[in-house]
Amino acid sequence: MILPRFDVLVPETVDEACAMLSDHADEGVRLLAGGTDLLVDLRRPIIPQHVPRCDGCPTHPEGRVLSTTECAPSDTDPLMASGGSIRTALEDPRHAAPAYLVSLHKLDQLRGIERLADGGMRIGALTSISEIERSPDVREGWTALAEGADSLGSPLVRNRGTLGGNIANARPAADMAVPTIALGGTLTLRGSSGTRNIPAKDFPRGPGLSVIKQDEILTDIHYPPPVPYSGSAYYKLANRKALEISTVGVAVWLTLKEPGGPVADVQVALGAAGPVPILAESVRGVLIGKVPNEETLLRAARAAAGDSRPIDDHRGSAWYRVQMVEQLTLRLLRAVLKRIQEGQ
Amino acid sequence: MSNHRILNTRTPRVDAADKATGKALYTDDLKRPCLLTGAILHSPLAHARILNIDTSRAEKLSGVRAVVTHREAGTTPYGVSPARYDETVFCHDKVRYVGDEIAAVAAIDLDTALEATSLIKVDFEELPTVLDGRTAMDEGQPQLHEMYKNNICAQVHWHFGDIEKGRHESHLIRTDRLSSKMQDAAFLEPQSILAETSSSGNLTMWSSTQAPHYIQRTLAMALNIPLHKVRVIKPAVGGGFGPKASCSSAELATCLLAIKTGQPVKLTFDREQVFLHSRARHQFFHTMTTGVKKDGSLAFLEHECVLDGGAYASFGIATIYYSGSLLGGPYRLKNMKYDGHRVVTNKPACGAQRGHGAVIARALFEVQLDRIAEELGMDPIELRLKNVMEAGETTCNELFVSSFGMREALEAVRDSAAWKKKRSSGGKTRRDGKGIGAACGFFVSGAGYPIYRSRTYHCTVVTKVDEVGGGVTVSSGAADIGQGSDTVLAMITAEELGLSLDEVRVLSGDSSLSVDLGAYSSRTTLMTGHACREAALDVKKQILEAVAGMLEIPSETLDLRDGQVVSLAGELDFSKIRKEYLQEHKGFSDLPDAPQLTFAEASRIAFLELGTIIGTGKYRPPPLGGSFKGAKVGTSPAFGCSAQIAEVTVDLKTGEITVGHITGAHDCGYAINVTQVEGQMQGSMMMGMGEALMEQIIYDNKGRIVNANLAEYKIPTALDMPHLDAIIIESNEPSGPYGAKEVGEGAIMPVIPSILNAIYDATGVRIDELPVTPERLIAALRSKNDKREADA
Amino acid sequence: MKKIVSVTVNGVLHELAVEPRRTLLELLRENLGLTGTKKGCGIGDCGTCTVLLDGVATFSCLTLAIQADGCSVETVEGLARDGKLSRLQQAFVDHGAIQCGFCSPGMLMTATELLRRSNNPNEQDIRRAISGNLCRCTGYQKIVEAIKAASEDTL
Repeated sequence: MILPRFDVLVPETVDEACAMLSDHADEGVRLLAGGTDLLVDLRRPIIPQHVPRCDGCPTHPEGRVLSTTECAPSDTDPLMASGGSIRTALEDPRHAAPAYLVSLHKLDQLRGIERLADGGMRIGALTSISEIERSPDVREGWTALAEGADSLGSPLVRNRGTLGGNIANARPAADMAVPTIALGGTLTLRGSSGTRNIPAKDFPRGPGLSVIKQDEILTDIHYPPPVPYSGSAYYKLANRKALEISTVGVAVWLTLKEPGGPVADVQVALGAAGPVPILAESVRGVLIGKVPNEETLLRAARAAAGDSRPIDDHRGSAWYRVQMVEQLTLRLLRAVLKRIQEGQ
Repeated sequence: MSNHRILNTRTPRVDAADKATGKALYTDDLKRPCLLTGAILHSPLAHARILNIDTSRAEKLSGVRAVVTHREAGTTPYGVSPARYDETVFCHDKVRYVGDEIAAVAAIDLDTALEATSLIKVDFEELPTVLDGRTAMDEGQPQLHEMYKNNICAQVHWHFGDIEKGRHESHLIRTDRLSSKMQDAAFLEPQSILAETSSSGNLTMWSSTQAPHYIQRTLAMALNIPLHKVRVIKPAVGGGFGPKASCSSAELATCLLAIKTGQPVKLTFDREQVFLHSRARHQFFHTMTTGVKKDGSLAFLEHECVLDGGAYASFGIATIYYSGSLLGGPYRLKNMKYDGHRVVTNKPACGAQRGHGAVIARALFEVQLDRIAEELGMDPIELRLKNVMEAGETTCNELFVSSFGMREALEAVRDSAAWKKKRSSGGKTRRDGKGIGAACGFFVSGAGYPIYRSRTYHCTVVTKVDEVGGGVTVSSGAADIGQGSDTVLAMITAEELGLSLDEVRVLSGDSSLSVDLGAYSSRTTLMTGHACREAALDVKKQILEAVAGMLEIPSETLDLRDGQVVSLAGELDFSKIRKEYLQEHKGFSDLPDAPQLTFAEASRIAFLELGTIIGTGKYRPPPLGGSFKGAKVGTSPAFGCSAQIAEVTVDLKTGEITVGHITGAHDCGYAINVTQVEGQMQGSMMMGMGEALMEQIIYDNKGRIVNANLAEYKIPTALDMPHLDAIIIESNEPSGPYGAKEVGEGAIMPVIPSILNAIYDATGVRIDELPVTPERLIAALRSKNDKREADA
Repeated sequence: MKKIVSVTVNGVLHELAVEPRRTLLELLRENLGLTGTKKGCGIGDCGTCTVLLDGVATFSCLTLAIQADGCSVETVEGLARDGKLSRLQQAFVDHGAIQCGFCSPGMLMTATELLRRSNNPNEQDIRRAISGNLCRCTGYQKIVEAIKAASEDTL
């Protein structure tokens, strides 16, 4: 792999990092965390006219474009039409060949899993996926996130990859972003003008695009405290048992009013089933207030499938993905209910 | 069973420690002073005429030392088979696939070299493309090459026996199909080349290659350099599996750059270039019609196939023969008709990959046998046992099997996996998602003829005894690409000379050491092993004759064992030799004092008596095969055979397939190194499983590879692979050294069909398109259910 | 403009001036001549470039040299001590876990981390730990057996 020439800046504080992002905006500056995505994206292709693949692109499902003129935003997809497109990113040399990378590796303050007084959890954006995978707290209280970590890439990727990187990249298949959305996670973005918190589900705008501003850094992710009679799960469907980007990923979080009682709340998030991770809102109407039985669960699963908007690409067809959303949602709902039952 | 000292053991490989410590040097690890870096300009288009190539800007870039195109390289045609020399070093009139090489640059570093390639301006006139092998032959399609009318690169039409007679004898006839995708060998080490010239015009090229001899010849021919001034050296190689068995444009280009600049040049492929170069598994479309008699014995096989081989011939002319010829065994088949077409399309060229053209053909045939067994109500292994050949028989296409453990292999897997217990009864009921399937395989142990028409020896070995005594050096052009041939040569030599492995040095993979056709068609153990044994025996004879001469006894009374010379006829008075040796070595500490004469002393005295002791060995197969057209391809001095059982679990709702266990039995004649034989079997199981379930090159509508990386081109990881049991069958091959024959490729043959048969057992559906991804399985299950509902 | 990077490799401290885009893999192979660590793909898909970075198995091809500044790196060249192979290396040799050898350095580094972390991994643990290290020659069987044997081997 050949990387373009860039300079690497190593801030010692978050504010320093934000300042670097705004100072060098004109010349092109990008954030480097684990590097498992960025350094791959930045590499120069062997055939100069080829640009690297862009995952989840609805107009080029085969994942490769010959030149930026081939890539046009889709008019039919509101997310794509609303505020930018991959084309813009590709056309912009500041994105494809930035003059600066800001490497966050010295920002230890952004690492760590912290249990909060109210029972919630805050995870620093630079926390490695491996650390999350190994945390008994995460596995017990936010199982879907631990299962996302289990399934991501390989141990080597997990050692290097970060929670923040996985979420900030805004890829529709992201194995940490999808559970985070189902678990009601909140992202803290810090920029020169201040700090803001946004729900994880509102972060991505399109494949590889998010609401993050030029000078902002995702610093930590907050997960609400576990409520009684709740559980979560995540399943990643792929061809191989490691090193995969999911064909479809489903995260389910559910809570009952009381054991054996009706559903108090539920969130189903879908990965690789649209240009961004999708919150299957229709499931809520089917399940909330109902005592879950097999028939209701099946209807809920079908509702999730109805909310999905997958494309045909080289990993799978839309036809298959829709069916898998249904199948996986059904299984995960059953699994979570079983977990809640066993937890009593 | 073995009465050998070193052979048939689990001796660790001679190069294992170096590989475990990072000491082993692969081509990209090599350094040279004043080394330049090479880069290639690849075509971005799948099919276009070249109108003009302007290298002026590239040449002017600071740090660039040479830019070469067809103008410097010339347009001497080359390729793999002289019958199909359809390539030139660089494209001159047309580009024929995305990745086709147009130019190369040598510069002070990679960055400069790559930048220079991007400054080369090529004017193209785009041409319409041919991307589908199934329609490439149709009238009106764009032609890739003048010489391939209708894009047919090679075709084979055979008719052995009498198909019509076979039809009449058949109780049951069925027709089945199977297609696959182009696949990649996915060796872990990308191709890498380092070329350098001497002031007297000698060219030396180190390359990650399987066949130094063939590459040496191609370099000399295409670059117009006398053969004796070209030397090809194979350092440690990180896997070959076929694509590295022929000379590439990259190798030619790197040599040309070294010649032009007068400096050493290194060029290492990026992983993407490995995919662009390919020369890997063809895409196959097979249709087979098979008839059996009432008792299950085969009556006839009518086989038709189209192979999509990408833009150039490469090994394709052999591939199309192997697809047909290797179905002549392992079963008795009197009547076989075969019509095969190997076409060209605007995609990277395909060549030989483990198992060559026989893998997908074998897969379909073995699946078809299963379907026949089901229709007849016979157990699939029993059906096969009914039909297997025995040693001493000849196939209908005149392949003679001199040793054949097919029956033993089948019985071994049947008994070891408790086949009878696990297999669902009567073949009618399907377990819900759990299945077990069996299959067999058949393959050559070294191609009977070299790629170029010649009566050359296929290999020679030169074994030299240290003049100082004590050790020997085995020199061979053979290529250890990870299969362990160096260890085999060391073991054979050590065995014959009564030495330990530490006393034997192996120098190999260098075209200047000896002739060896290289590591392809699974030839090295049988052929080079044979020559190595001959050389060792030659050396032994000379040493014993020298010792006998000095002691005035007949040399037949002496032998070499356990590092010593032993007398087979009573006491041996060798005091004369010892005295001289001790005298010569005054001051040394580890002097021999054993009551026996040591090899060190004997070999030293032999030098003093005779001069340098050199033994040579050589091997070339006897004339093989019939007299029909193409008879030579698929011939071999021996044939390996295998049987395998695969157990799978299928998630019937998602289509996810987990292979739980694979048990394979392979007849390798005689296992010279037991661990290595098992390793080859297990490696074959992995590649076969990957090809069955997940490996496919994906192209877009512009002929570009979409998944040219190891994340999207999926090979099994350690979590995907199950436990692999390897059972060794030894049928004692008469033409093999100690009875040994191949294992490197034959063991892949049963993998795909045993998995497909297991999937059928688990689900009740047959898939006729590889790879069987979860989605493809779900689609098949869905259409089976739809059909059932429609029929209801 | 080059940056100074201080990195301890196999116990030896090196100070090097490197381009910012230099990867740790390039630093090891080209600046330090430690060619034991391999480049199979350069983009983190194969594991042949695995080293231990502060004891953690890491892709050196996707780590910038600058990110290793102040860190300690262990490569395959550092596993043997005083000319004696480590228990794991010896197990690889003895069990036939090495064929072409290209995946072996990375495999050994990943396995070294595993055995430091876990003193009795079962087969599934082992397979999971090496799931990011591809091998095309062995089918993984003998690699798993070697790692298991090394974990059971008492001193």
